Amino acid sequence: MCDTCGCPSPSDVHDHDHNHDHGHSHDHDHGHSKTVAVHASLFAANDALARANREHFNEVGAVALNLISSPGSGKTTLLEHTIEALKGEIRIGVIEGDIETERDAERIRAKGVPVIQLTTGGACHLDATMTHKGFHRLQKEPGGDDIELLFIENVGNLVCPSTFDLGEHERVVLVSVPEGPDKPAKYPKAFTSSHTFVVTKTDLLPYFDFPVPAAVGDALKLNPKLRTMELSSKTGDGMESWLNYLRELVARMKAGALK
Amino acid sequence: MHEISLVQGLLQQLSDLAAENEASKILSVTMEIGPQSGIVADSFRFGFEILAAESELVKGANLIIETPAARYACTQCGHVVETADGKPDGCPACGDLLLFPQGGDDLILRQVEME
Repeated sequence: MCDTCGCPSPSDVHDHDHNHDHGHSHDHDHGHSKTVAVHASLFAANDALARANREHFNEVGAVALNLISSPGSGKTTLLEHTIEALKGEIRIGVIEGDIETERDAERIRAKGVPVIQLTTGGACHLDATMTHKGFHRLQKEPGGDDIELLFIENVGNLVCPSTFDLGEHERVVLVSVPEGPDKPAKYPKAFTSSHTFVVTKTDLLPYFDFPVPAAVGDALKLNPKLRTMELSSKTGDGMESWLNYLRELVARMKAGALK
Repeated sequence: MHEISLVQGLLQQLSDLAAENEASKILSVTMEIGPQSGIVADSFRFGFEILAAESELVKGANLIIETPAARYACTQCGHVVETADGKPDGCPACGDLLLFPQGGDDLILRQVEME
């Protein structure tokens, strides 16, 4: 149990697994060395904390979304517009992940919702431990104890974040039009592990060679269950389907149908 | 680059294992890297070499990496393809284009030799 608030996390500080269930040793004939069969996942510690985070989010009734993309895909801008559009309708909180600076958190704070910034100090991804601590900090911010929709903006990187479960309910991968359409093919794990794929900055389509059906087709080939949408935060095109997706998630959480 | 943090987790496990088995030296470590795990075997090895060199317990240990074949299941007919050459374009049994990766997303410490 977490010693900060009693949430279901194993502990606030203890982030490695001790593997008490391994350990039948086999004696071999080379000197006095011995070989121990282990079969332990290196993700086990992170996955256990991620499960605890998910239970915690469920307890407080907050839908958690993990946003993954390259740097500069427009995650923070999309959040700014989302907060504006859902003001008075859905209570939003944000955990910002970056290697350095408070800049993204300042942009979100200016929109009047609870936010905290996690600076990883060089690490290329968030993990379940950082998320756990971040959510506790967020809950202490004004309005942070009553969040219905939590955005976790991961470190801008399409590779490493896709390996780490944070305890989110759904994972959203974003690709902006200037990045080019081949991201799904080049970075498959981000797409196979996500629930939703959003093409952003569609207002730039006239200026870039970005065949949307090809990019979406590549992503669906990797992950046929992927929900896909295209939008521009700047013009508002496609925003409604994004907002409806968020509304639906919040409604499912209220109905107890989101696990 | 996330391989480094995973190697740090591995070294912690090795140190726990050595203590439990009253060993003072790790001789070899066998890892299984799943084909869908997003872990690059060469980066994992690179991280292991750097971090192991700083640890009296693990310095000089042999790292054995096993990479099982990737498995994909057809969403139409259920046929399972095993391949080492990336995702097939379609199902060899029914020709459907929708194949879903099956398992293989884990990173597993299989075996440790120590003295």
